[in-house]
Amino acid sequence: MDMLLIAELSINGVFVGLMYALVAAGIVLIYKTSGIANLAQGALAMMGGYAAWAFATLAGLPIWLWLPAALVAMFFAGALLERLALRRMVGQPIIMVIMLTLGIEIMLRGILPGFFGSSVKRLDIGIPTTPLFVGELFLNRATLIGGAVSLATILLAILFFNSRLGIIMRAVSDDQTASWSVGIKVERAIALAWGLSAVMATIAGVLWGATQGVDWSLSLLLIKALAIAILGGLDSLPGVVIAGIIVGLAESLATGIVDPIVGGGTRDVVASVIIVLTLILRPHGLFGREHIERV
Amino acid sequence: MTIKRRTFLAGSAAAAIASQFPIRLASAQDNVIRFSMPQDFTRVYTFVTAEYSQGQRDYLTLINERGGINGHRFVADVSDHGNDLPRAIEAYERAKSEGAVLVDPLSTPVARALVPRALEDKINMITAFSGRSDAADGSVFPYVLPLSPNYWTQAGLLIDYFRQVDGDLSGKKICFVHIDTPFGKEPLPILEKLAESQGFELLAFPYTPPGNDQSAIWPQVRRARPDWIMFWGAGVGQTVALTEAIRNGLPMDRLSSSVWLSESDMEVVGAAQAAGVMKVEPCVSGREPRLIQDILAEVVGAGKGAGPEDKVGTSYYNYGVMLASLMVEGVRVAFEKAPDGPVTGEWLNAGLRAITGFDAEGLIPPTTITPEDHQGGGQARIGRWDGEKFVAETDWFSANQDVVWEEIRKYSAEFKETGQ
Repeated sequence: MDMLLIAELSINGVFVGLMYALVAAGIVLIYKTSGIANLAQGALAMMGGYAAWAFATLAGLPIWLWLPAALVAMFFAGALLERLALRRMVGQPIIMVIMLTLGIEIMLRGILPGFFGSSVKRLDIGIPTTPLFVGELFLNRATLIGGAVSLATILLAILFFNSRLGIIMRAVSDDQTASWSVGIKVERAIALAWGLSAVMATIAGVLWGATQGVDWSLSLLLIKALAIAILGGLDSLPGVVIAGIIVGLAESLATGIVDPIVGGGTRDVVASVIIVLTLILRPHGLFGREHIERV
Repeated sequence: MTIKRRTFLAGSAAAAIASQFPIRLASAQDNVIRFSMPQDFTRVYTFVTAEYSQGQRDYLTLINERGGINGHRFVADVSDHGNDLPRAIEAYERAKSEGAVLVDPLSTPVARALVPRALEDKINMITAFSGRSDAADGSVFPYVLPLSPNYWTQAGLLIDYFRQVDGDLSGKKICFVHIDTPFGKEPLPILEKLAESQGFELLAFPYTPPGNDQSAIWPQVRRARPDWIMFWGAGVGQTVALTEAIRNGLPMDRLSSSVWLSESDMEVVGAAQAAGVMKVEPCVSGREPRLIQDILAEVVGAGKGAGPEDKVGTSYYNYGVMLASLMVEGVRVAFEKAPDGPVTGEWLNAGLRAITGFDAEGLIPPTTITPEDHQGGGQARIGRWDGEKFVAETDWFSANQDVVWEEIRKYSAEFKETGQ
């Protein structure tokens, strides 16, 4: 076994996992506030990527302008989505709300490539493509920077949940009726969560867009994000960091070790196996809160 | 409400007449040759379809503007099947009822599903760069026409080019990075045979579709220290492969791919950084060929272009022109053979299978389609990206056709026996 290759794959896997974790963090953010598993998070990442590309290429803005413009636009897009679609579902069974988010995912995946054109778009955030070697060890600059930015964003989200506004959102998550009764504007808190989640999705969309280009396939990030959110615990932001590292490592090592043995690409199987095993063995994930129904 | 017998019979008669209407409508349109082009504009083949279709439509407009062929004008029925089999079959049946003599679905799963229908209905199905590679055997697939080098041929061409450059491939190491789908795995049998006969080591690296994350693949390729690398995918898989190869510091002039690499891919990757990478070119790319110049002058210049002007002359646009020109040449030959028609699938088939030495005014290699060989000789050339455009690295050539045809006959015989 080539230990240097294992080391390369491991380091790369950790950082790729952190990039996936950023998409998962958006799912957790919404779940923590409104109790909904948002299946449109992959499409929001794709939408963020397209928004960034549109501001960068169509509007011709420099990066210091297009990036904030995309983040602000997507914050309002997320909040608007909650206001126009999700809020109308108040009182409906939770499965219908989740189906609605799935419908939004499918709709965005159809509309955006149709509107912007279906070819892959270039999104340049200035990461050099020249190889980076530390001794004989190869490090992928794009995933290194992407993983670091993702980790920083998730840490900011954790800090945010300890701020006054974050505590309000946690209160909304714990008991919406009680929050209403003490004067918390529950709808506003949920809209804020959707807006912030869209911002996180945009950062993820930009990082992945810079790595692979912007096209519909960004929406496939949902599968990895779901695996990470389920493994880490749907209501745990620190959980997504740990789970992201586990999923990224497992995928990367599977590609290097299992693929040559079975003669096929096993990368996506890893995510599916993690989802299934977690749900069977520990449904609330590694760090999620176990919900106990009192009867 | 009750229905009287007379009302029922009258209604049934009206429905029966109405069901015949599309056929009568089609046959009433004198001097029209209908080509059906249900293609995937929205799902999997999005990376190519828009430009390919634009090239096809622009070429047909050029011919129509010049008066058509033998007084017949072309109608291109373009629709979106989204790589979805029920939608594609519906489009095919609609085309059949409207009198189409040719269908071009540009999708491997769709083409494979339509093979039995095309053979039974005697409607010519074009499967360029898609569909079954064994359809090159015209004796088994008379109405399925690839009209282009299949993936086995493309792999054989690249290996021969490596041999031409290195002199001998014995002891060399060739990495094959491919999407883990039937399309991606298709060249493997040919490559394995050539590895055995020419003495090179073949290392295959499959990646999960669609290939948007290959970061764990390319470090393995780099560490294998290959002499040559072939990457085999489409759309985002190709741009990611190329980007990761650059990030891993692999030499671009040892990197090559199939026909599925375009100028748009180079823009995504970074045109200058990708300089040196090679692809199989089934036709000339760029705007220099005479036909492209004619389209620019007579179609685009007249405001009748089917899409953005900046796409005219891209690789995939020219693929569209290439295939449309072969279809039209088939019509011309069919008229030579039977000037009075009638214009049917069988009539066109006789023309398509008798195309001889056609080069589309220098756009494509001299192509001869016979009742046995639907591939057209398996000629192409190697093009190299110079930072701005693909330039020819070789002249038109064919290679390793003995190995390729062995494989073609093996699978076509299996189809003949089992229908699979």
